[in-house]
Amino acid sequence: MKTIHLIVDDKPIIAQEGTNIFQAAIDNGIHIPGLCYHPKLSQFGGCRLCMVEVTERRTGHRFACAHPVSEGMSVKVNTPKVIRYRKSVMEYLLAHHPLDCPTCDKSGECGLQDITHELNLSPGRFKTVRMNAPMIRNNPLLELNRNRCILCGRCVSACKEIEGYGAIDFQNRGIKTVIGTAFDRPLECSFCGGCVAVCPTGAWQDRTLGFKGRPWEFKNTPTICPYCAVGCTVVLNTKATPLRIEQGIETVRRVTSDDYLGINEGNLCIKGRFGHEFIHSPERIKTPLIRKNGELYPTSWDEAIEYVSKRFRQIINEHGGKAIGGIGSEKCTNEENYLFQKFCRSVLGTNNIDNLANIKSPFLNGLIYESIINGISSTSLKDIENANAIFFIGADVTEAHPVVGSMARKAIRLNNANLIVANVRNILFNSAAKTNIRLRYTLGSQFTLINALIKTIIDENLVDIKNIETMTKNFNELRSSLDKFGLENASKSTGVTKETIRNASLTLTKPGSCYIICGKDIEEDPMGKETIKALMNLCALINANRSAETSNARISLLFARSHSNSQGVNDMGVVPGFFPGYIDINDASYREKIEKLWNTKLSDDILMKESLNVFDLALNNKLKAIYVMGENPIVNYPNGKEVREAFKKVEFIVVQDTFLTETAQLADVILPTATFAENEGTFTNMGLVVQRLNNAIQPVENAKPAWQIICDLAKKMGQHYSYTSPQDILSEIETIVPIYSGINYNRIKKKGFHWASSLTNKNKSAKYTFNVIQPEPLHIKKSKDFPFTLLTGASLNHQGTFSRHSKSLITVAPECFVEINNKDAQEMNIHNGDMVIIESIQNKMMLKAKISDKLPEGMVFVSEDYEWVPINLLRDRVYTPIKVYLPSSEKTI
Amino acid sequence: MDTKSIHSEKNKKNENTENKAQPVIAVCLGTGGIAAGGDKVFKKFEDEIKRLSMDAAIGKRVCKTAKTGCRGLCARDVLVDVSIPGTKPLTYEKVTVDMVPQIIEEHIVKNTPVEKWLAKEDYHKFYDSQQRHVLANSGIIDPENIDEYIARGGYVALKKVLETMTQQDVIQEIKKSGLRGRGGGGFPTGEKWASGARYSADEKFIVCNADEGDPGAFMDRSLMEGDPHAVMEGMIIGGYAIAATSGYIYVRAEYPLAVKRLHWAIKQAKEHGFMGKNILNSNYSLDIHIKEGAGAFVCGESTALQYSIEGKRGMPRTRPPQSVEAGLWDKPTVLNNVETFANVPIVINRGADWYSKIGTEKSKGTKIFSLTGRIKNPGLIEVPMGATIRQIVFDMGGGIPRKKKFKAVQIGGPSGGCLPESLLDSPIDYESLLGLGAMMGSGSFVVVDETTCMVDMARFFMNFCAGESCGKCPPCRIGTTLMLDILTRITQGLGEESDLELLEQMSDEIKTMSLCGLGQSAPNPVKSTLRYFKDEYIAHIRDKTCPTATCVALHRYEVVSEKCTKCQACIRNCPVKAISGSTKEVAFINKEKCIKCNLCYEKCNFMAIK
Repeated sequence: MKTIHLIVDDKPIIAQEGTNIFQAAIDNGIHIPGLCYHPKLSQFGGCRLCMVEVTERRTGHRFACAHPVSEGMSVKVNTPKVIRYRKSVMEYLLAHHPLDCPTCDKSGECGLQDITHELNLSPGRFKTVRMNAPMIRNNPLLELNRNRCILCGRCVSACKEIEGYGAIDFQNRGIKTVIGTAFDRPLECSFCGGCVAVCPTGAWQDRTLGFKGRPWEFKNTPTICPYCAVGCTVVLNTKATPLRIEQGIETVRRVTSDDYLGINEGNLCIKGRFGHEFIHSPERIKTPLIRKNGELYPTSWDEAIEYVSKRFRQIINEHGGKAIGGIGSEKCTNEENYLFQKFCRSVLGTNNIDNLANIKSPFLNGLIYESIINGISSTSLKDIENANAIFFIGADVTEAHPVVGSMARKAIRLNNANLIVANVRNILFNSAAKTNIRLRYTLGSQFTLINALIKTIIDENLVDIKNIETMTKNFNELRSSLDKFGLENASKSTGVTKETIRNASLTLTKPGSCYIICGKDIEEDPMGKETIKALMNLCALINANRSAETSNARISLLFARSHSNSQGVNDMGVVPGFFPGYIDINDASYREKIEKLWNTKLSDDILMKESLNVFDLALNNKLKAIYVMGENPIVNYPNGKEVREAFKKVEFIVVQDTFLTETAQLADVILPTATFAENEGTFTNMGLVVQRLNNAIQPVENAKPAWQIICDLAKKMGQHYSYTSPQDILSEIETIVPIYSGINYNRIKKKGFHWASSLTNKNKSAKYTFNVIQPEPLHIKKSKDFPFTLLTGASLNHQGTFSRHSKSLITVAPECFVEINNKDAQEMNIHNGDMVIIESIQNKMMLKAKISDKLPEGMVFVSEDYEWVPINLLRDRVYTPIKVYLPSSEKTI
Repeated sequence: MDTKSIHSEKNKKNENTENKAQPVIAVCLGTGGIAAGGDKVFKKFEDEIKRLSMDAAIGKRVCKTAKTGCRGLCARDVLVDVSIPGTKPLTYEKVTVDMVPQIIEEHIVKNTPVEKWLAKEDYHKFYDSQQRHVLANSGIIDPENIDEYIARGGYVALKKVLETMTQQDVIQEIKKSGLRGRGGGGFPTGEKWASGARYSADEKFIVCNADEGDPGAFMDRSLMEGDPHAVMEGMIIGGYAIAATSGYIYVRAEYPLAVKRLHWAIKQAKEHGFMGKNILNSNYSLDIHIKEGAGAFVCGESTALQYSIEGKRGMPRTRPPQSVEAGLWDKPTVLNNVETFANVPIVINRGADWYSKIGTEKSKGTKIFSLTGRIKNPGLIEVPMGATIRQIVFDMGGGIPRKKKFKAVQIGGPSGGCLPESLLDSPIDYESLLGLGAMMGSGSFVVVDETTCMVDMARFFMNFCAGESCGKCPPCRIGTTLMLDILTRITQGLGEESDLELLEQMSDEIKTMSLCGLGQSAPNPVKSTLRYFKDEYIAHIRDKTCPTATCVALHRYEVVSEKCTKCQACIRNCPVKAISGSTKEVAFINKEKCIKCNLCYEKCNFMAIK
């Protein structure tokens, strides 16, 4: 890309060839007034305010956003003539704009106000015309005031290009032009709030704000979203009431986004933007609670801590530390999780600790680590925006990681990236991809599909075999192991046509960067380990071919994680088999090191023998106590019946949480925990980037941050921790956790710490050894009595406890559905909206039916994210067989 | 009549002699002709001839009826040409169904033309001053019969291009001819094709702009209805020159006959090997598709037109990139007007040298104008560039009817300007008109007389532009509406002194700041009327009168006391009882109460109300 030199208002600047003057000015900190141009969106050129005087060969007037920079060009932004015309356009805009400023929530951060002020626009030549169009409020989150709209087109572009929905567009023409939905139906979209974020006037508004504050009254604190594992930066707008008085209590009024902070470019999803109301929910636990005679009683912190430490000590004395199990949190910070496992291992003396992510996919941590070392997972999440090809396998990005979808759409729009979506269900992913390959495989056949791709690539010489052989080990063994994955067989088993498999192979081996997101459907599948190993083989195969091409283009494999710190809780070693940093629990030298640091002797009982996980131990009467930090396993553990029994068998349960969850309701002691807004520390996202949270408000009522609770507990039990803040904890982490070596609490405020990159660099020269796997085929159980298969997964609008207590999210999605295929529904005479019963051998449940073309026949889908719908009560395995019927007919199929 | 029978290349020679022996009755079946009852007249001729078994009567000579396209003088429709071999063809005007039997009996059978129904002197004057090159076939051939087009030299230019000329040869020839875009922009066609040829891509498009949205313009319509193959031949030659892979004609849905005839023409052209794969064994392939518009004037703008073809909202975009670099679906696209394409075969056939001798120094060739308004001979004319307004209005147009005086001519539709009597001798070419504050535009020529209010006319055109604005940019979307409000106020007697300056300022602002040609030229009618007819504005604003008594709100009703017979007819009929009087008293109209409904004027039998 050629560099162009130009002068703007006598200031010499540089820009890349092809950039327009407006963008070049933004990049160099020069202000040109404009209301329709936005760096994230395609150029529109509609507002006509960015007129500037340009001298190239001749001097003339151009519109900055439409005109490309040229060598030696001179630009003047504010000549008298330009100002005169700019004022005239503003006058036209204001002539048709209501004088709403006193009651408009946008006042103070309004583009129209700013430019009017900048131009010093004295009373205009026209009388203002009030248009009196009605406010559009037909949805719970957004409102559209057409009178204030200046038709800049930003919301239309944002909805189409960033979110891919295209729910709104221009209607009518001339002076009657308005923004609206198709046929004026109520707004039906993902409610990402992108329209509100880019709107320069008060036309689109966030209804959760609703006059709760003026922009200049807010304190804005950027921090990391508490929901999914993408780790978007959200800006908490807080205000103290009463204002400017010492005892004023600061509360969160609204969440906004910042285009220049973090990895999400100001893009958010409905949870991130509108799911903040749980912070000030009246349902929060207000004081510590202790159960006496079956009832929960409020108590003081001192009393609660005293009681917990006493009971723990009792159990340790009678049965040993290993009788206590610990569940760490996918939603608590790295510092808190590190402290948790430190406390459990060194103070309680137990290594029987785990987290739900690891329980659901125990092999995942090891495979992620291996991928990093082998250079397959070397880039971070944001790099998807530069992809030339994107492959979602078993990942429903639209529901689980919406902003990753936006990043992918950016690559598709700007790089013409090719798209491959592989899933059992016909999941939704909106994009303008010209090459859009769907691999709709049958349940259980993903291992076959991946290997078929590998075999096709090899057979059709899409890679240089000679090269591969020299750069890897075991290639020939791999090749011969793939005999039964030829196109003919594979097509039969997977249900994907030969043509499509071939197309996918071609697309993956084209030059350029390729990003693969491996989703939960693969990770939690019974054959997940084998499938991921096959996926790693595929990546290594293509990567080995590309290193020969001396380009930076690589394949990068990223693994989906569910929650804000699902990755971090594992990094911090809240797992049975590893120390923090994935160091084997049997590593003697590390043990010595950490014992020295912690000033303690670690328990010898280091592995859970004969048990799958902590709950299994409890079921087998091996545990006397469970300590749960920030989790709700009663609802989230895959087998509902088992986990309830497990808890019943334990005599002492401690739960740290913000709300009285189903698990908390079984606890003996409940310790109210502060939310992300009242805390600081770090989260690690699914791209292996560690980012900082910033404290926005003081802990609400009597809640405490989790790390403080653990410190108090440790102190009571004789271990004095000298941490004064999470920063101290991170400093300790930095010294003892090799993968976090070099992390600095202050530096990551500006830019996240990508722990994978240093690890990859260390192993650059190592040769990849192909995994040769010959697994048993997977059998999906079905029977005459239970002819359907229950699939579960993520849902956009909810994610457990936090969303449940967020009023707006509940209003948008008050009900959990069971999604069912049209044909199946017709056969059973089920209509959209009917209440139906789904029943497994374990249990049954009544839910509202939703006819969906996403499902294959014989399968139904229920989301796991609606906390008040414990679907795990029906599940006894990953793919539970069930039957479906109408309550009126106890008839079954 | 079976249009598909008999004619083919092989039989052409025989057929010509055979034709010469047959009397031919050609009936105008352009939209204007059909509107006047042309298809009924046509059928009557057919029926009569069949009934009378003309072949038997005249000894095996079959009388042939023929359909033709518009021949231009639409005011005299239905026009019928009767050609008896051996005699001069004669034209009947304003033919009705009842006249048919007599024409057949006297003229065709007895060889005695019916003098009283023949076209008058001015009909011939209308044609004599024209140079009908582009319209050569219109009104003569049957537009639904490709063989008639071929018989008159059709597709010879295409053959010449494909067999003897390279792409560059074609571009050079068009450049040399000086042909400029006939859609209004006047951009040199050769240069546009040269740019289009320069960009290479897997797909390239040649597009014909047949949206013709200007009110009062029907040149393109007549061309498409009367000689569709001429347009397509031009397009295919253009496609070859730029190496287009596909072609589109964007024609407005309000032209159903043109759409039908274009589809038919495409079908016939394909059958004859002039379109499709490997045209005339040349290795060049081109398919032309028709895309109908959906009722938006703004879709005549080139970038909006391309979005409309793509199925998107027709909103123009900024440039760069120019369409030749990235247009339809972001591929190199060359877009030209219908008339421009129709000129191309003529340039190729007769040569650039011959072509460039017609017209003025900077504007070559002929231009088709649609004459409408207060003129004796409204219709379609084709004149060389440089003809004067006076020639068009008075020689060809026949002057102003009803003994009224010429006042102004609006050239270029809603993007153009009004020119007064003082400029009657101005030549018509691109540069001259711009200098006078008007614009060639697409070629609509609206003549107004002394009874037309220029302020109201400006308001009419502004209303059109405001209604057709796409809504994207504030200057056009809001500015035109604000200007319309001001003009409306002025016509209602609510104008203020400051309005004139405001109109001038706004015209300048909207022209400078608008994104596309619609907004940029919307103020033109206002600007030109302010320039040449300011006195009318002042009369409306200061004196609250409309000099032509057109603006209803400014009407003043008064009784002429000398003529009043005290019959009280007006008093009885006034809906608001604004008139007082009796059998003894002359009527008196209370101007405050008067709602200007015009009833008293109509009811008075003594012309006593003015």
